[in-house]
Amino acid sequence: MKRKRTNTFRFSMLAMFIAIIFLQTSIPMIGYIPIGPLEITIIQVTVVVATMLMGIKDGAIIGGVWGLITFIRAFAWPTSPMAALVFVNPVVSILPRILIAVVAGYTFKAMINMIKNETTRLAIAAILGSLTNTVLVLGLIYIFYRSNAPQLYQVNVKELLPYLLGVVGTNGIPEAIFSGVVTPLIVIPLQKAFKAKLAK
Amino acid sequence: MNNFIFGRYIPGESLIHKMSPQAKLLLCFAFVIIIFFANNWLTYGVLALSMIMIVLLTGISILFFIKGIRPLIWLIIFTVVIQILFTESSNPWWQWGPLSISAHSLITGGYIFMRFLLIIMISTVLTLTTTPLGIADGVQTLLKPLKKLRFPVDTLALMLSIALRFVPTLMDEMESIMNAQRSRGVDFGSGSIKQRIQSAIPLLVPLFSGAITHAENLSTAMDARGFVDSEHRTKYRVYGWKKIDALAVLAFVAIFAIVLLIRN
Repeated sequence: MKRKRTNTFRFSMLAMFIAIIFLQTSIPMIGYIPIGPLEITIIQVTVVVATMLMGIKDGAIIGGVWGLITFIRAFAWPTSPMAALVFVNPVVSILPRILIAVVAGYTFKAMINMIKNETTRLAIAAILGSLTNTVLVLGLIYIFYRSNAPQLYQVNVKELLPYLLGVVGTNGIPEAIFSGVVTPLIVIPLQKAFKAKLAK
Repeated sequence: MNNFIFGRYIPGESLIHKMSPQAKLLLCFAFVIIIFFANNWLTYGVLALSMIMIVLLTGISILFFIKGIRPLIWLIIFTVVIQILFTESSNPWWQWGPLSISAHSLITGGYIFMRFLLIIMISTVLTLTTTPLGIADGVQTLLKPLKKLRFPVDTLALMLSIALRFVPTLMDEMESIMNAQRSRGVDFGSGSIKQRIQSAIPLLVPLFSGAITHAENLSTAMDARGFVDSEHRTKYRVYGWKKIDALAVLAFVAIFAIVLLIRN
């Protein structure tokens, strides 16, 4: 009997990245960097790194897992009042995170002929990926909470909209800058070190 | 450290511990939906009473539940205060710009406080009485219908259990990396923004590289044992549907019926 071979390396890489996401969502130092009153998340860096090392589809899976954790946490263990109010909607919490990988992956591919320098290309892809998250979360909050749709906590989110958007916006810019600076510094050494294995 | 899944499980022999994880997950969702239907003091009273019963049934000291809620209390209060100040009403007691306080806003604030408390309590019951692997198994069972749509449920569940198994390993490695960098003079969590960003890089690169090495070793081990992912896998622990699960579902149906009867 002929058996279909499974790509066990891809399988275990995905499992490891999911474990890293678990860690990042539960330990502050490696998942969030507190800067003054703001807490900028660095988990999107992991999603972009996964996309660059394993491809868009796997990056999207990792992003999806992050979104799923955010979604479940919004009920059980919210990290901020904002999370408790808006991330209980799975479209707001999951979709933007999946699209981080899609946007970052495709921009990286599209720029292959335009920009030769890999560091610059990675930085631009990471910044766009991070901004995708911010812009989509903002946009979806705006779309979903502009009207007075029934919500879990009956909070009048419509009135709060400008404040929520302000918070997300001020977090989004440092997050994008951070991703742009850090992603190339992580991806390039990893690609060098694990070239043989990753090429398969 | 704010662990929300790991290290919260407390072993026990109570009825709730004995329920199968898929039933607990399902009823946890059901409870959140029931809370959605509550809209007056009587319904919240019924739900609070059932919550107290559930907590007593777990046989776990109430202190663990208080410990679980304490880190969230400021967040809850903050949300409730915002809700009270931003609720519009016709005859406010106090008003300043868009902010106002009225009897109506105080009541809705109270409801929101109850909702938060109930949702956090029910999820705390789940994580205190179920192991992370049990939860992964429960998710697998609940997602089984998706198999018909060719969604790789088993693969996902196995990946999830491997990830859960490696979380403590990676956490230990993190500690070692942090200590190693501290001994070289890296100061985590302080300094200017630039310094903070710089201190994250010597943490993340070894963490990723360690994880990839684990993945390499794991895949070698799996290949050596002839791992095929689509094959039917057996389990060490099998969680079947039990009599107690059926009883719990009945109890929840009863609670739901009462809430529907007495809501406005």
